[in-house]
Amino acid sequence: MALPNQQTVDYPSFKLVLVGDGGTVYAVDLCGYDLRKTTFVKRHLSGEFEKKYEPTIGVEVHPLDFFTNCGKIRFYCWDTAGQEKFGGLRDGYYIHGQCAIIMFDVTARLTYKNVPTWHRDLCRVCENIPIVLCGNKVDVKNRQVKAKQVTFHRKKNLQYYEISAKSNYNFEKPFLYLARKLAGDPNLHFVESPALLPPEVQIDLAEQQRHEQELAVAAAQPLPDDDDDAFE
Amino acid sequence: MDDLEKAILISFDESGNIGSALKSQALEYCQQIKGSSTIFSVCIERLFTSRSVEVQFWCLQCLHDAIISRYSSLLSDEEKHFIRKSVFAMACYEGVNDSNAVVRVLDSPAFIKNKLAQVLVTLIYFEYPSIWSSVFVDFLSHLNRGTVVIDMFCRLLIALDDELISLDYPCNARDTNVAGRIKDNMREQCVPQIVRVWYDIVIAYKSSDSELCANVLDSMRRYISWIDISLIANDVFIPLLFELILVEGSPEQLRSAAVGCVLAVVMKRMDPQAKLNLLKSLQINRVFGLISEEADTELITSIASLLTGYATEVLDCSKRLSSEEGKRVSSELLEEVLPSVFFVMQSCGVDATFSTVQLLSSYVATMKNLSPLTEKQLAHVSQILEVIRTQICYDPSYRDHLDVLDKFGAEEEDRMLEDRKNFLVLLRSVGRVAPNVTQLFIRNSLVSAVSSSSERNVEEVEAALSLLYALGESLSDEAMRKGSGLLGELVSTLLSTRFSCHSNRLVALTYLETITRYMKYVQENTQYIPTALTAFLDERGIHHPNVNVSRRASYLFMRVVKLLKSKLVPYMETILQYQSLQDVVARFTSMDFAAKKTIGAEDGSHIFEAIGILIGMEDVPLEKQACYLSSLLTPLCQQVEALLMNGKIQSPEGSPANIMIIQQIIMAINALSKGFSERLVTANRPAIGLMFKQTLDVLIQVLVVFPKVESLRSKVTSFIHRMVETLGVSVFPYLPKAFEQLLTEIEPKELVGVLLLLNQLICKFNTSAHDILDEVFPPIASKVVSILQQDGMPSVPESNTEEVRELQELQRTLYTFLNAIATHDLSSVFLSPKSRAYLDPIMQLLLYSSCNHKEISVRKACVQVFIRLINDWCTGPHGEEKVPGFRTFIIEAFAANCCLYSVLDKSFEFRDANSQALFGEIVTAQKVMYEEFGENFLATFLSTRGFIPAHCSQDVAEQYRQQYRQKLQGNPKAFKSFYQSYIENLREQQNGSLVFR
Repeated sequence: MALPNQQTVDYPSFKLVLVGDGGTVYAVDLCGYDLRKTTFVKRHLSGEFEKKYEPTIGVEVHPLDFFTNCGKIRFYCWDTAGQEKFGGLRDGYYIHGQCAIIMFDVTARLTYKNVPTWHRDLCRVCENIPIVLCGNKVDVKNRQVKAKQVTFHRKKNLQYYEISAKSNYNFEKPFLYLARKLAGDPNLHFVESPALLPPEVQIDLAEQQRHEQELAVAAAQPLPDDDDDAFE
Repeated sequence: MDDLEKAILISFDESGNIGSALKSQALEYCQQIKGSSTIFSVCIERLFTSRSVEVQFWCLQCLHDAIISRYSSLLSDEEKHFIRKSVFAMACYEGVNDSNAVVRVLDSPAFIKNKLAQVLVTLIYFEYPSIWSSVFVDFLSHLNRGTVVIDMFCRLLIALDDELISLDYPCNARDTNVAGRIKDNMREQCVPQIVRVWYDIVIAYKSSDSELCANVLDSMRRYISWIDISLIANDVFIPLLFELILVEGSPEQLRSAAVGCVLAVVMKRMDPQAKLNLLKSLQINRVFGLISEEADTELITSIASLLTGYATEVLDCSKRLSSEEGKRVSSELLEEVLPSVFFVMQSCGVDATFSTVQLLSSYVATMKNLSPLTEKQLAHVSQILEVIRTQICYDPSYRDHLDVLDKFGAEEEDRMLEDRKNFLVLLRSVGRVAPNVTQLFIRNSLVSAVSSSSERNVEEVEAALSLLYALGESLSDEAMRKGSGLLGELVSTLLSTRFSCHSNRLVALTYLETITRYMKYVQENTQYIPTALTAFLDERGIHHPNVNVSRRASYLFMRVVKLLKSKLVPYMETILQYQSLQDVVARFTSMDFAAKKTIGAEDGSHIFEAIGILIGMEDVPLEKQACYLSSLLTPLCQQVEALLMNGKIQSPEGSPANIMIIQQIIMAINALSKGFSERLVTANRPAIGLMFKQTLDVLIQVLVVFPKVESLRSKVTSFIHRMVETLGVSVFPYLPKAFEQLLTEIEPKELVGVLLLLNQLICKFNTSAHDILDEVFPPIASKVVSILQQDGMPSVPESNTEEVRELQELQRTLYTFLNAIATHDLSSVFLSPKSRAYLDPIMQLLLYSSCNHKEISVRKACVQVFIRLINDWCTGPHGEEKVPGFRTFIIEAFAANCCLYSVLDKSFEFRDANSQALFGEIVTAQKVMYEEFGENFLATFLSTRGFIPAHCSQDVAEQYRQQYRQKLQGNPKAFKSFYQSYIENLREQQNGSLVFR
């Protein structure tokens, strides 16, 4: 799959669909980081900038390269967040998607509430692809979606990560998970950490540990009841 | 190919050969077609003619959207009929007029069929059963056209569940009603027929098309929760399901799908007695034979969830049933299934799922009120402990990675920490219901791990220690102190034990954490203090070859010292002269140590804090204390002085190595000083105070020599913070010099630090801080005003670059600072001759923020400042004007903008608690203004534009004014609620038509 202004690559590449609502701000964050890296690296090596593909409406596609012990791989990240408003192709962009990230914003409850809908719409078009659920902005102090309230991934067997695009916290995790699934190799590793920009904010590790503790305690709790027919 | 199809293909293009201008033109064209009135026939026609999946997808998407947006109002009956007929024809593999040239949508890939199912569901939403009651029955009669139609029928059922019935998705009340209507009618009309068809299909295709059967079963699984259970749980279907599960060699997908259906039956919500009968009738033991130590297959995983679900439901029945018989049967069934559950978790490599841990937890919970436990229960408890131990044990193949903590090791450690959490929660509940068994189990694990020569012994030791640690978290204070049961013995043995694998990083860390956790026992049983101290100070702790272990040890040692405190006085000499504690101290300030990366807060300085707490106790005689302290402070200060001498010759940036060392020394001294209280240092033992003063003197020199090194400035600032606490008022003589240095070439971020220091001074010393404040306020005000005015108000919420964040932080800290000044009777500082020039800009900043700042608490702080200033500066209505122009500013600008316009704005939310507090201050401000300015205030405020609703007659307006005046003079609470309703009323009247600001 090639994209305007970008060379085709001779190593494995995958279409990654990035969905989730709450505007483009956080979805772009994730790619934005690495984009700046690619830009930086390119300039460094060849004196050229790599341009990102930006059609007037619709979707942005960011190429993201990772080096693994099995060689280089590329994700073409289709950032569909927020394009709803512009009357693009919506779930049409999911066609041929090979893996996906569903993002929500832990500081906005509604974005988590909508996760099941994103998941359904995604699975309608892409059956049986690996999917990661990501709670973003865990660096923000007053989060609205507590770790223990995140249970959707357990119902649908998704992988869940708490991330903070701003502080690079867990940045690689979703990609590593997807790479392993796509390669069918649970021991695949990234051999060289992408040269991330220094984090803009320091994540409060103690706070984060508390959230993760909560997550663990919550995991031991039963799933909320949601069946309407209590008795037959 | 026509224009629309071309446009669709261009919009979907992923080849990269199409420019963005053309692409957006294509999208626009498609959008335009979508809006036309003939869109339905346009789409349907293409669905029967185009072979392009993109065109098909676009048309289906378009149909779906158009049905939703136009169905209720814009469609004629003929159109509806046309849509219904065409969509149904596609779903049943029919063509138009059955001509051969026709494209059949069902020949397309899965995502097209799913999209078609979604369209069909949308029609069902609007038309079933009122208009199109026969949809399901009609579909059933077409299933004989072949597997492709059966497959489509399954997709329809799945889509119906996903889009409408399932409660996993947020939906509104109307959708819930529709779902109820559809379920009711289906139950009445066609569910038995559908079930019959499921059965027939599976029978017919189980050996020839297992994929189809698996799809049928997957769709059926979703319906079991709301259809009559006897349709499935009967002598026909259940045997079929088990047959599918048990046939060896048939595809896993099909077997697992059948397991899924049985699980759905098991999970069905039912009356507990009926449920128990059902569970018993299933004869679940039939599947036990399938679990073996084979690999982690899809089938094993599904069986594991089935067994877990089954056991969970049995447990639930036993809780809800009160009859003896019910209890007996459920406990029999539980006994039967539990061993298999344990086996799966221990042996089959199946990752324990949340639900399994959940099951074990609720099983353990049932034992809470049983005492004593039966043999069988105790055996199960042991099994559970065994499961826990197996699950928390590291894999030896990661040993070296974990020891050096490389990338692989770090990842494995993270994973394990995550996995362990649930199991350790479980362990704690087991420890509560069966303390003896648990302690015995842990002791035996430890003993066998230590003596075992197996290649896993390192991991086993670590796991056993982790269990002990986790158990400690759940013990009551009393149990801990007494060392009840085996605990005392365990702890005392542990303290004197050296494992052969103690050099291993994880073992050493877990060991230290564990003995720290049990230190309360040592606190009560002081005979163990020497062995405990040794464990921390020798090569198991601070002298561990791994620097991370040794740093952690110094932190934990600090906590132990804090806990044991005066109990350690007899051992003081021993500790301070222990082997080479001095080495550790020296190492901390050497280049080598400083260069190593620190992990989190663990920088190793805690050893100084520990020593500080030890020697800072009043139980230590003065001479000794002075001697200890100077033996630490003197060499450190000399080292700094030497480096400063050096630095004077070099550039003001200093050499990185020297900077690093100075930084470490300041941190060490800082940590050391934490153990000394203000009372000791100032009142009781001034000689000690003097030593800290001398140190402060030296460290302030650091600012002089290296004025541009930010890291040093912040370290020295923290030290000053400490000295304010430790030295009390005797710190004052050192402050002018310190501030002078701190304020040169200061950056916004550092300015925040200085403001915080000043806030500390104000809050600690109140008006005694006046002189120093008077001195530093003018330069600070000049800085702040120039920064904040030049950059304007960073109020755009979306911009969160670091720079903006810093400015916002500065702004917030500034208002806290101004608030502290005003509320600590220091407002005269604003009026000193050198500060006077900044009075006006600062008032403007305060006014702006009191009305507009996005954080309500900041606004409140600003309003409070004004209230204080009015009190301080405007004594009496006819008094001298202390600050010329201030009264006018308040009456005209503040009153109107803050007290009226800012609350009149719709963004001011009366239901928010913070806003209510702010509103309270705004109301107080009006009272204060009235008290101080009397009629002067009233006359101006009441004639503020917008205070009286537009188009009021003179009389009504006068009434309003009278009412306000009256309420203002009355009870404050009543005035507050009056003013709130007045504002709300005013908002309604102006109805957003007037914009004041």
